[in-house]
Amino acid sequence: MHELTIAQNIVNIVQEEIARQNLLGKVKLIRFKAGKMNAIIPESLQFGFAATTKDSAAMRDAVLEIEEIPLKVRCGSCRREEIIDEPQFICSQCGSGDLEILSGKEMFVDNFEIE
Amino acid sequence: MKIQVVRNVLEANDRLAGEIRKRNAKSGILLLNIMSSPGSGKTSLLEKLIPLLQEDGLRIGVIEGDITTMCDAERIAKLDIPVSQINTEPFGGDCHLGSEVIMPALDHFDPKETDLIFIENVGNLVCPAEFDTGANANIVVISTTEGEDKPLKYPLMFRTCRLAVINKVDLLPHLDFNIDELEQNIRRIQPHMDIFRVSARTGEGIAAVRDWVEKMHIKA
Repeated sequence: MHELTIAQNIVNIVQEEIARQNLLGKVKLIRFKAGKMNAIIPESLQFGFAATTKDSAAMRDAVLEIEEIPLKVRCGSCRREEIIDEPQFICSQCGSGDLEILSGKEMFVDNFEIE
Repeated sequence: MKIQVVRNVLEANDRLAGEIRKRNAKSGILLLNIMSSPGSGKTSLLEKLIPLLQEDGLRIGVIEGDITTMCDAERIAKLDIPVSQINTEPFGGDCHLGSEVIMPALDHFDPKETDLIFIENVGNLVCPAEFDTGANANIVVISTTEGEDKPLKYPLMFRTCRLAVINKVDLLPHLDFNIDELEQNIRRIQPHMDIFRVSARTGEGIAAVRDWVEKMHIKA
């Protein structure tokens, strides 16, 4: 949820980096990565991104690439590491609920490409 | 030209949440965030829980979050404790409380006169779970009129909480509700959840919630 806010935050981060490094030219591509736990709806995010960038000459043609980071857990009992597709936090090997989340909670702008 | 960034999209909220925790640690204040659907009984729970905590000498404050009205704050104010009401917008504002409204709300409480602050978040089982309020722990209230499958439908909410309070157990004789199934579903999402069965109306089970809160306060 809140894909519009997230889209605005993505745009703010890229604009801050452009200002900080005194970059000129148009942004061509932004690589955004979101862990599965954030349940980002790509269509909503693209919609919010388009709405946020349409009035910016530097950003309006930028492509937003959305990569989902899988939810990877490690069992504290049997040490098994696995990727889970559904939010049920029980080890498939030993049934323990003692699962540490190794990845899948992140949400960040990784990099962008500018002319 | 490729520019490396690696910046968290919610960094502003997360950074502020960290500052809230630091500020409260310095003042010796425990901050607990209570979330639930509308009508599960957050306010009623506080009305019964706070006097029990006060009996044990704890000084309480409440941050009330609602889209509009002062109704909840007025109920809590009757307990003679400081209350800060946050209205996110009179005509339909934010669906959750973020760190940016919690930090200024803390100014309402004298750190020398406060041991524990409850945030009563906006009634909503979806959005509040996504935003770190700077609390030391999250509590979810779910009632016997809501359906055993709710934890499976709202996994992020139940995953982020340390305590689940199952409310309205006094209604069980009138419902076809499987409370054991609800507990099982909670544990599928958050195996480490502490769970208590209560009735905020009759007061049943509230003493156990008081004990949990006091243990958290000592640990903090």
